[in-house]
Amino acid sequence: MIRAMDISTSALVAQRVRLDAVSSNLANMSSIRDEQGRAKPYQARYVVFQADDSVATPHGARGVKVASVETETVEPNYRYQPGHPLAIQDGQWKGYVAYPRVNMTTEFVDAIEATRAYEANVGVLEVSRNMSAATLRILG
Amino acid sequence: MTPILPIGIEARTPLAGIAKPGAPAADAARSFQSFLLESIDHVNSMQADANRAVEQLAIGGDTDMAEALTSIQKADLAFRMMLQVRNKLVQAYQEINQIRI
Repeated sequence: MIRAMDISTSALVAQRVRLDAVSSNLANMSSIRDEQGRAKPYQARYVVFQADDSVATPHGARGVKVASVETETVEPNYRYQPGHPLAIQDGQWKGYVAYPRVNMTTEFVDAIEATRAYEANVGVLEVSRNMSAATLRILG
Repeated sequence: MTPILPIGIEARTPLAGIAKPGAPAADAARSFQSFLLESIDHVNSMQADANRAVEQLAIGGDTDMAEALTSIQKADLAFRMMLQVRNKLVQAYQEINQIRI
């Protein structure tokens, strides 16, 4: 039963990381420089989950862990701002500034999904806690 | 992801540590004592884990709130389990103590 609590907790941690990715994507929806300061628009991050063998019951139930954080590769959102210091100097997009293409709708749907999944796992946690408390009544 | 295996009767092996009723228990007293000490030790380490997690949470360390709260809950559960066993032991002791010779 304590293992079940560990599994639910691993899901809580994983959904938390997913929400972190959403907040990163929304925070950087206008970032036109990357972490190194280069003029590259931010690309959205997506968290990939994986069943976790290190949090498991002998009967095959598995916890979850973050397998990787993937960076999207989409065409940036070009806006015509010729006076901008980071405007593209030559080529097809001369005079345009590359902005990140973060889809706010997708991000919010993801946030709601993560929140609901979090709540569901808190519910499971509560059920296993109640079950353990009920079991203790055997000796009571 | 591997599917959750059906929990069959055959998967439930009989508990190794618990002797069948009526079977001679050669070193039952010693093993029960070590079992008790081990569980107290285990409960203690769980409490220490919970303490550490809360401390990390308070100083803004690398601990998720859910992890800290779950470790508190686990420590509480283990402690209450131990408390129940202790209550049962004391109860049995008092029952025996009241036997008039």
